Amino acid sequence: MESAIETCDLTVAFSTKSGPVKALNGLSMKVDAGQIFGFLGPNGAGKTTTMHILLGFIEASSGTAKVFGTDVRQSIARRKIGYLPEQPDTYRFLTGRELLSLTGRLFKMDKKTIRDRTGKLLNDVGIAEAADRRIGTYSRGMMQRICLAQALINDPDLVILDEPTGGLDPIGRMDIRKIITELRDQGKTVFFSSHELSEVELVCDHIAIMARGKIVAEGNAAELVPEGKSLEKFFMEVVGDSGSAGGAAPGETQGL
Amino acid sequence: MTRICTIAQIVWLEMLRKKDLYVLLILLGALLMVLVSLNIFGLGSVTGYIKDIGLLLTWVLGWIMAVSVTVKELPREESRRTIFPLLAKPITRFELVLGKWLGAWSIVCVATLLFYALVALVVVGMGGSLSLVALLQGYILHCGALGMISAIALVFSTRMNSDAASTLTYVLTLASFLVVPKVPELMARERGMWADGLLFLYNALPHFEIFDLRQRIVYGYGPVGLKTFVLVLLYGAIIVAVGILVSWMAYRRKRFKRGAMGQ
Repeated sequence: MESAIETCDLTVAFSTKSGPVKALNGLSMKVDAGQIFGFLGPNGAGKTTTMHILLGFIEASSGTAKVFGTDVRQSIARRKIGYLPEQPDTYRFLTGRELLSLTGRLFKMDKKTIRDRTGKLLNDVGIAEAADRRIGTYSRGMMQRICLAQALINDPDLVILDEPTGGLDPIGRMDIRKIITELRDQGKTVFFSSHELSEVELVCDHIAIMARGKIVAEGNAAELVPEGKSLEKFFMEVVGDSGSAGGAAPGETQGL
Repeated sequence: MTRICTIAQIVWLEMLRKKDLYVLLILLGALLMVLVSLNIFGLGSVTGYIKDIGLLLTWVLGWIMAVSVTVKELPREESRRTIFPLLAKPITRFELVLGKWLGAWSIVCVATLLFYALVALVVVGMGGSLSLVALLQGYILHCGALGMISAIALVFSTRMNSDAASTLTYVLTLASFLVVPKVPELMARERGMWADGLLFLYNALPHFEIFDLRQRIVYGYGPVGLKTFVLVLLYGAIIVAVGILVSWMAYRRKRFKRGAMGQ
């Protein structure tokens, strides 16, 4: 099966006043195309750092990362990626429609495709009626939705979502879950992090748990958790107290 | 080019829709009031004064706008965290830096065009005359100087917040405006290390004075020769290119703070 994401021995180290720290510590993983991959871990485990490497925001100190076989350091690797950051924000002076249109132009999409995709996505994320209003007037949930639409404008093969349901009400969460499963049904790969373990159990095909900059448990969602245990209990056992950022000492792991 | 123009368009849309535009309108109003008030003091008939003061104000306002618009662009993307979804698109940081410069510079050029038009209208309205070719040359060279100021502001804004970047840009550009033209005179009086230092300063700092055609416009000396005009523009283009290149080098490996975002 084709790999959507492949990392090999990724290390991110940087200096701080208290000494060198490692945000990633030899991270190797493979995400197959067409699956929903849940990326779990306590705060400071290195989840967002991993995502930032995949998106080319930061460069690894050592190791390699590829998206659909292309080195993530090349900007063309991002042509196939859609990204929704944690607590997303965008240009509030634009309308929702303008935001999607301008984003489409950044992907060099033609006018007709942009128009068609914009109309479809505005409907899919449920803000078609507010499409011509300035984003500054949107609620928190609407902001999340328009940012998700922005992440999907290029019809990406890989969608990276950092805490996509954070701060949303139950209806908003359900809508986002529905969009995620629809993306999988369309053959897309969804790579997402979340602290909502119940949510991960509901939608993920594959789960990886990260602590101290590396993966400590990984497997098929149905098989990873031993029978009789909840994902939450398993997560606590695997990660323990040492997996948090507070437990990271100089020279060890800490989030960027 | 599409991506660069799209980033520049976002800069434009933000300027037009946020209160930054009102600053331009206030500046225009202030300029108009100063020019009209000259008549109150009995200077209205001397259109040379109006040209002189009007063009001086145009340079000062253009300088302030070039710095204030440019220094905000990159730090604002980081502070509101729009830098993350933006860089997640297949754009390079060079395209981002160039798009930001282009957006900021083009806004300032259009605003400066309005200032020039206002000065010309007031002068003509008061019975004065202007050489259109010299005025056009003055405006184009002024745009060249604004491009250099924007490029310098961009360099500082890649690694500093907007306040620090604007302060440094104001100091550097003001020093260039005021000190550089005096350096040859100072060099003639100095010997040894001091003279070498002054020579270095003369070569290192940008020469804004060669872009300033105010005296030609005010005293009706006519336009400069085409060769000189093109060479000065070429010098400006080189400084701008160096500024953008340095900005890109400072920005290309920059790590962004996640602000309120957690791990």
